[in-house]
Amino acid sequence: MSKYNFIVIDDSALDCFIAEKMIVHTGLCETVRCFTQASDALEYIQASSLEAATLPTVVILDVLMPMMSGFAFVEAFEDLPEDVKERYTIVALTSSMNKTDMEKIVSYQVVKKLLDKPITSETIITLLER
Amino acid sequence: MPEKIKILYVDDEQNNLIGFKASFRIDYAIFIANNTTEAKKILEQHPDIRIIFCDQRMPDKTGVEFFEEIRLDHPHPIRILLTGYTDIESVIDAINRGNIYRYVKKPWGNEDIRAAIEESNKFYLANSMLAIKNTELQKAYTELDKFAYSVSHDIRGPLSGILGAIRVVKHLDTIEDMKEMLFLMENSVKKLDTFILSVHDYYNIQRGDLKISEIDLNTIAADLGDMYSMYTNAKNVSFSATVNQNEGFRSDEISVKLVLNNLLSNAFKYQRKDSPNKSVSLEMEVDKGIATFYVKDNGIGIDDKYRSEIFNLFFRATSQEAGSGFGLYNVKDALLKLNGNIEVNSVVGEGTIFKVTIPSK
Repeated sequence: MSKYNFIVIDDSALDCFIAEKMIVHTGLCETVRCFTQASDALEYIQASSLEAATLPTVVILDVLMPMMSGFAFVEAFEDLPEDVKERYTIVALTSSMNKTDMEKIVSYQVVKKLLDKPITSETIITLLER
Repeated sequence: MPEKIKILYVDDEQNNLIGFKASFRIDYAIFIANNTTEAKKILEQHPDIRIIFCDQRMPDKTGVEFFEEIRLDHPHPIRILLTGYTDIESVIDAINRGNIYRYVKKPWGNEDIRAAIEESNKFYLANSMLAIKNTELQKAYTELDKFAYSVSHDIRGPLSGILGAIRVVKHLDTIEDMKEMLFLMENSVKKLDTFILSVHDYYNIQRGDLKISEIDLNTIAADLGDMYSMYTNAKNVSFSATVNQNEGFRSDEISVKLVLNNLLSNAFKYQRKDSPNKSVSLEMEVDKGIATFYVKDNGIGIDDKYRSEIFNLFFRATSQEAGSGFGLYNVKDALLKLNGNIEVNSVVGEGTIFKVTIPSK
């Protein structure tokens, strides 16, 4: 199987750490970067859009975060150029059981899937197979 | 002694007005008007009038017409019609349409009026109590909604973090990684604990009664100094407390402490990590029956755009440190109960000053 780059965005350092370990454990990961602030991740994506990335990147995105939430991140991401957007796949991740939030985040076209916390290696592998 | 019940009497006959006022002015606050225009003016000036007596037969309009007119703008006062038997048809009609509460037959005796006032007052109190309870219920209901919403995120969040960590441990190879994981798990547990403690505070402020006692600010300063010595030692934040109290200060000690605790723990928590001289100060003074508290820090500051939201339930302006979004909401709620006030002054990257004033009871 081919490898992927990963970006993890979660305000909880623990959840970032878990996602990172689980991602590395899949053996399908080339690089993984963690951000506890969504705005930093967005800046990173904007900056790296200049150089052509070789591998497709999976973005694991927490939904409820202070300051820039997952919703705000997705909205800002949607405004990026098409050739940048197509290199990323966004997967939302939340512990929220609120229906409105869950429906809202999957309603964005760029969000491919919504996963329940905590994330496991198995769910990441299943995700990548599709 | 409770304030006298306010009563308005409208009648075109001056003698009746004078007689009414003479009979009841000792026990009630009586307002009189000899026409409906004057009566409306009095109602505008005294919205807390509880009972209106009105004569049915007046030259400009009937009592029933008058009540029907004022009902929309002044729905709360209890409306009582004074009338003779000949008008009974219109009285029945008015009662059925809900425009009047009851009627008193003319010529009235003092006992009839007194009985009518007492009954009306009971009805008025029951009604206004119902309205107050209704508002409280609505508020509680809205907050319950917010609670249910936050439970999934604020309780399940840390728990799912710990669960995920337990699973990850199986894949860890080095002791260093495990130690880091344990440290992060500990933070997650603390976060959950903070949330539960804040819920407890929240409940206490909402339902608890105030226990007013004499408060010695020097004792409070010493207590707080002990409490935060952990921060001053371990995290290298200097703390100073000054007290200037030359007169008594009476308030609810638990609420006052809750306010100061929340402000101070924020001041300690939201420091700039790379700052060489982190400091927090608390200034307290009592002057002319008002206690003023300043909580100052030279931490990260609060962005202008979040200023109006920081007191909202579950609002968080930063992801730095574990916070529940409860603290400042509880502070504001406690101050509301103490008739106090809070102001905030902050510059991003320089620090924050909270000024709290609480009147002595």
